[in-house]
Amino acid sequence: MSKAEFAIIGTGEVPCGIYPDRSEFEIAYRVAKLAIADAGIDKNEIGAVLNAAHIMGSEFNTEAFFGRLPEAIGAKNCKIVATTVSGGGSSFSIRKTAEGILHSGETDYVLVIHAQRFSQFAANEQINFFAHAGSDLEWEVPYGMTYNALAAMMTQGYMAYTGTTVEQVASVCVACRKWANLQPNAMFRDKPLTVDDVLKSRMVAYPLTAMMCNVLADGGCAYIMTTAEKAKKVCSRPVYVLGEASDFSHRSIVNLKTKNIDKMYEFYAPVAQKAYERAGLGPKDMDIFEVYGAYPITSLMFLDSLGIVEPGRSGALVESGETSPGGRYPTSTNGEAMSFGHTGTGVGFSVFVEGIRQLQGKAGKAQVDGARFLIEDCGGGAFMDAHFTVLGNEIPNPTL
Amino acid sequence: MITNMNIREILKQKLGCKDEDFDRPMPVPAPWSMPFWDAARKRKLVLKKCTCCGHIDHPPYLYCTSCSEEECEWIEASGKATLYAYAVNVYGVPFAFMEDLPYVLALVDLPEGPRMISNIVGCDPKDLKNGMELKVVFDDVSPEITLPKWKPVSK
Ligand SMILES: [Zn+2]
Repeated sequence: MSKAEFAIIGTGEVPCGIYPDRSEFEIAYRVAKLAIADAGIDKNEIGAVLNAAHIMGSEFNTEAFFGRLPEAIGAKNCKIVATTVSGGGSSFSIRKTAEGILHSGETDYVLVIHAQRFSQFAANEQINFFAHAGSDLEWEVPYGMTYNALAAMMTQGYMAYTGTTVEQVASVCVACRKWANLQPNAMFRDKPLTVDDVLKSRMVAYPLTAMMCNVLADGGCAYIMTTAEKAKKVCSRPVYVLGEASDFSHRSIVNLKTKNIDKMYEFYAPVAQKAYERAGLGPKDMDIFEVYGAYPITSLMFLDSLGIVEPGRSGALVESGETSPGGRYPTSTNGEAMSFGHTGTGVGFSVFVEGIRQLQGKAGKAQVDGARFLIEDCGGGAFMDAHFTVLGNEIPNPTL
Repeated sequence: MITNMNIREILKQKLGCKDEDFDRPMPVPAPWSMPFWDAARKRKLVLKKCTCCGHIDHPPYLYCTSCSEEECEWIEASGKATLYAYAVNVYGVPFAFMEDLPYVLALVDLPEGPRMISNIVGCDPKDLKNGMELKVVFDDVSPEITLPKWKPVSK
């Protein structure tokens, strides 16, 4: 049975891509205004402004720590500011922070903001950062380890031990691109992509080609969260948080709990199952699967864990087109980091916000007709953790 | 023809890189990991084993991640491992590693329990196979630091 204590009532987003002249401040102020307008509340009702840190560090972080965002937005009755960050898991950890504030009763409205700009950094700064971010400085970086190499190893092992083909891996990129082609804010909204394009692009970290590696970009989004009780009164189509679950595994990939990288579902699936149970729903009830990937292998590992396909067979599922627009299992409907654009801690935010849009019937050309329930996930670091959330625009079995 | 030497010159001219941009990142040992690097310099691969519960931690930490006891011994590993999974970096690496391209990164499984990230050397990447047997080799990358690496056991 779902308790549905919290709900999201509005979202805002700006286009993702390379926009060096658009500062994080501009992104943050813009998405906040859009989310407030979408939620239909007064800015002065917001009692907490939360922000996800820029993982490469910047003046924006310091300013956010010290209250720049509520001041600039004009949130005159803001009581709490906080920055929450846990890499790719930030969208989940910040939501838990928002839930805690709402649960405390201090305010009815929390504004959550993500804004990030990578184009301010030189290519080498980005490469160096992402070598260090995913890898251990003492035990891995001295060997020339990089984030792409980490994903490449996971891909190589997964393919070798499950029999997944490189064409199937490439088909994840293609499915993401088909969704992105329907999304006005996606970085690659105008560029079609084929399996052949993916396989023929430059080899980066075997077996990963350039098109299997995400592109760092500038973007951001925001949403307004409130209690389920309040949402019912002020919003015609709130999206309820029906069930959530989390688990953590490691810092360094060598300490991965499951050991077998073809069996990541042994780590992920029980977490997804717990989220389903807490929502009082199951895989068959889901209309959409808002999967966080960042690399195609991550998408396959998460798909293996959602109860819709035999583990290890997600590549075949994606290749069949069933996760693409029009398929039975709409997956990552904004095109995800691979095609929407990778905004650091923002990948999970953009996937989450897209899920809200879908359940509010505001997803435009990407709209999955009649969507009522979805499962969303995120995780960060070097595959360090996993967080699953079941969302719905109705509360199942509220009388149970 | 582009040689390794002039990759550096090209990058210095085109991107304004300085020589220090090509400095290799070196491990900065913590007090609890120093014995590993001291042994590596002497061409020994050692692992931190808890004297209380017998758990082996790699990477090592201040105290045992299993039972939290601080007393430990450093045992010499067999120097054998198997290749669990690998990647071949060919593009988009930090400047310091551009002259090494292509190079192999791997997850290697030690019979003592730990898994490590390292390089596979002395092998054409095309000949790599999951599960193949490896033996440790030592690469003196600076006067202070020797990196244990792995090469396939020749049949
Ligand atoms: Zn112990």
